[in-house]
Order: sequence, then structure tokens, then C-alpha cells
Amino acid sequence: MNQPEPSRSFLSRHQFLIYRLFSLSGLIPVGAFLVVHLLTNASVLGGPESFQSRVDMIHSLGPLLVPIEIAFIFLPMLFHAAVGFAIIAGGLPNVGSYPYVGNVRYTLQRATGMIAFAFIIGHLIQLHWLGAPLRGSEGGFDPHHATSTAAIAIRPLLVSILYAIGVLSTVFHFSNGLWTLGITWGLWTSPAAMRRANWVSIAVGVVLAAAGLGAIGGLRTVDVAKARGVEDRMDEVKRMLKGEMPIEEGRSPAVRGTSNSSLPNAGPVSSEGT
Amino acid sequence: MIQAVETNHDAGDVATAAGHGAGATSRTIHVRVLRQDAPGQESYWERHAIPYEPNMNVISILQRIAATARAEDGRSVAPVAWDCNCLEEVCGSCTMLVNGRTRMACTALVDRLLEDNSEEIELRPMSKFPVVRDLVVDRRRVFRGLERVEAWVPVDGSYDHGPGPRISPEDQEDAYPLSTCMSCGCCLEACPQYTKIEVVQREGESAEAFDARRKAAFDRGFVGAHAISQAMLFNAHPTGRMIADERLAALTGEGGIQMCGNAQNCVAVCPKHIPLTRSIARAGRAATVWAIKKLFDR
Repeated sequence: MNQPEPSRSFLSRHQFLIYRLFSLSGLIPVGAFLVVHLLTNASVLGGPESFQSRVDMIHSLGPLLVPIEIAFIFLPMLFHAAVGFAIIAGGLPNVGSYPYVGNVRYTLQRATGMIAFAFIIGHLIQLHWLGAPLRGSEGGFDPHHATSTAAIAIRPLLVSILYAIGVLSTVFHFSNGLWTLGITWGLWTSPAAMRRANWVSIAVGVVLAAAGLGAIGGLRTVDVAKARGVEDRMDEVKRMLKGEMPIEEGRSPAVRGTSNSSLPNAGPVSSEGT
Repeated sequence: MIQAVETNHDAGDVATAAGHGAGATSRTIHVRVLRQDAPGQESYWERHAIPYEPNMNVISILQRIAATARAEDGRSVAPVAWDCNCLEEVCGSCTMLVNGRTRMACTALVDRLLEDNSEEIELRPMSKFPVVRDLVVDRRRVFRGLERVEAWVPVDGSYDHGPGPRISPEDQEDAYPLSTCMSCGCCLEACPQYTKIEVVQREGESAEAFDARRKAAFDRGFVGAHAISQAMLFNAHPTGRMIADERLAALTGEGGIQMCGNAQNCVAVCPKHIPLTRSIARAGRAATVWAIKKLFDR
């Protein structure tokens, strides 16, 4: 009679759904974004042109880019982080008493999740438009000068080291999470299937870690001035194509080069625009 | 009384063994026990020294401690309380932390323990259950977990149901390991996601009200690997399957399968080597299918 009615909040009534959405969001869209992001960055190894053209492709979404970023990247990431922190708070790691591989991975999954969260916040403040008010007018990532601005930001040794830690933590969190996701949803159930899936997740992790570290290495070794020149030329061409800038035959681009050859090709398209 | 008689028996055997045993020096085993006099009281460490005998297990150590009832410093102390029954790792009652890890005291052989650490053997009660006294804990949440998932075959009734359906040898082989679960709680003790729930009776609270409040608290917490595995055992049984949906409803409720963090300690510490992570993954798959069915069949 005076039996206390257990308070069942919305969150506890839908705990299963929330945890499954949490698990899913780690793969789609957050994990999928991570893969695209790291592979895009790794294209800097092919030179500033290849990185710039991939960044241009992303930015060709134009006014759709920001809503897409918010709906498919930031909100799912925030949801994943919020539930993740609640899960971490509810657990009691005991790797000291039970130092098994699975338990070490359990603990690392939580540690790398927190490192990744801190890293992403720092990364946004340093480079993203979201962080612009926090970092002031200096620095940041300019999508028209992808390689040079990213290289300048990441160049200091300490920043590079922090990025390497952040990228490796994020990659571990994703690839280990891929393996646990398969158990959570019941994709691999037998110990043998789990072992096989484990090799796949390790392979995914190695590829992504190579891509992430490759991008950092690429940005550290690229010639910033040269990259700037390439980006300026590419930017000029883009603006001419859009008709924002008249085509001046024989006008020398910002940096000496052979890129004039691309201007006549742009001519007809541009004249349509004007 | 019985313990004392047993002790004398053992002492006799050991005397003979020591008589013609090589190197029969009188070694001493140092044992450190984390004691607690009653629920809610402060725990404290107590050291005991007992003479070494070959082929001891942790239970026989506790029997020696009970027989002398003296701490290492000579103080007369109350015997250390512990739970045990079958002494052959099938009843699941003597779970405790031996040298920091959860295991059955009956199969914790002293000679093996001394190989790892010859200095000392450390005994602690399980940390995920309320201590009743010393090494005795209240494990009713283990059994509440089994109730939550209805870990039984529902055949109660007043008339003859006839013979049950046949089970193929393959299915039997699949199910048998799961049926060896003895509810010892090792999987729960080692699980980083299974955290202690201790409900204290309020002043003036009736036993019924207290029990209901405690059950409600248990039901909000993680159900545990053992119960998930038993749910899969009975969902695979042709008669048990009749309430498969009820078990899946429990497993997808608060504190259900989703609380698993995939640390996989459960399967590593299980004394019966039950494929608990396979059960958990199967439960995950069943929950996935069930949740989708529920979503579209509603």
C-alpha cells in the first residue's frame, strides 16, 4: 500500500532504444563521417591540388552544407557523446583485478571516447567555423585554402602530437566500437565469428590510422607557400567559372606557374555566365 | 561441531602424510581476511596464520581458522563466516574474492595459490553484493535476475500435457553448457557494468514493503550475464519458447541486455566455462529482431 511506485522516467522506459540508437549513431552517421573525413584528409598526400579539389567537392553543397553538418554530424555526435558519458558514469572499470584483453578494450573504449570528445572540441575551436568566435580572427580553416591553412594550424610539434593522439584515439574508438556494435546487434554471435570480425575491425583501424597519421605527416611536410599558390590559382579559376571575376587573358596568377593553360578552357563557361 | 570432527580427520591424514612426506617442514600460510561484523558496518582486515598442509583448498583454510578462532597476533576472535555447500564446484555458494579475483573457494587450491604468491592468501567477500557477515553476501539479486527473465519452463498445471517435443542432439549439445550455470555470481562480480545495489530497510518499514522496494531497485539495475544466458537457454527450449516474448520484453526493458559493455569478463571468469558472450550476442540478435517486429506489428 505504501509501496513506493518506482519512478520510471522517459529515459529509463526507453533505455533499450536509446542505447541502440547510441550504438547505431557511432557507425551511422558519426563513424561514416569519420571515415570520409580521414580519407579526405589523407588526399593531401597526393598534393595540395588533390586535397583542395576534394574540399571543393564537399563545399559544392553550398548553403546545404551547414544544415547537413548540424543534422548529420554535430547532433548525432552530441547524442553519442551524451549517452556515452552516461554509460561511462554507470560503469566501474576493474582492469586492475581482471586484466583480460576484452576488459582492457572495454576500458580503452571509454578512455578513447573521452579523449576523442576533448580532441574534437579542440579541433573545432582551432579550425572549424563553429570555433571562430572562440579563437578570434586569426587562424582557422579556409576551405579555399585547405592545405595551407590546415598545415599552418597543425605545424607546431605539440599540435601535431596532440592531433596524432586524438586521431589514434578516435580511430581506436571507432574500430573497436565496430566490433562491439556487431555483438550488440547480434551480427556475430559465436566466439569464432567474433574473432573473425575482430580481424576485420583491426584492419579497418589500421587503414584509418594510416590515413589519419598520413594526413598529419602530409600537412607537416607540404610546402605551405607553394600550396598557397596552387590554392590561389584554383580559387581564381573557380571564381571565374562562377563569373565573379572577369577572365583576363594573360593575367599572371598570384604565383608564377603554368596554370594559365587552364584559363582558356574556362572561357566559354564563363561567358555563358556573364 | 561437524567442522571440528572433519578438522581432526584431516589433521590425522596430514600427520601421516607429513610423516613420510619429503621436506615436511612446518610452513605457515598467512591469510588476510576482509571481515565485517554485520550489514552496514565498517569492514576491517584480520590476519591469520595456519600451518601448511598439502592439498588444501580455501574452504579447508577457513575451517582451520574456525577451529582455532585466533588471529595471527594471538587474539581470540569470532570464527570467520563463509558460505559453502557441495565442495565440488556445482552448487555455486562459496564465491568469494581470492587474491582479488572472483572464484569458487572450494576449487581454489592452496598449493596453486602459493605458487602465485607464497607470502599470503587474501580473502574478501564479493564486492557487488551486500555483505551479511565476513565472507557471506546476500546474493538474492542473482536470483531476482533469473525471475526477471522467467528462467524456467512453464509447465505448471493440473492436467497431463503429454510428452514434450523432441530436442535434436545438436540442440541438446548447444543447450547443455548453458544448463550448467550454478548462479555463483562470478560473471556479475567481474562485470564492470554490474554495480552493487544495497537497499537498507527503513525504520518502521514492513518486511513486505522493504522487499518490494528492494526488488524495484534490483529491477532497475543490470540483469546480468547469467540471466541473459538462462533466457537464451529457455528460449531455445521447445516448451520454454512459449514465453520467449516475455523473456525478450524483460531483456529489452530497463537494465536489460543493452547494459552490457562487451568487456567479456563474464566468460573469462565463469567457473563452468559457459559461453556467456555467445548467449549475450544471441540475446542481442533476438532483441534486434524482436524490437523491429514489435515496431512494425504494433
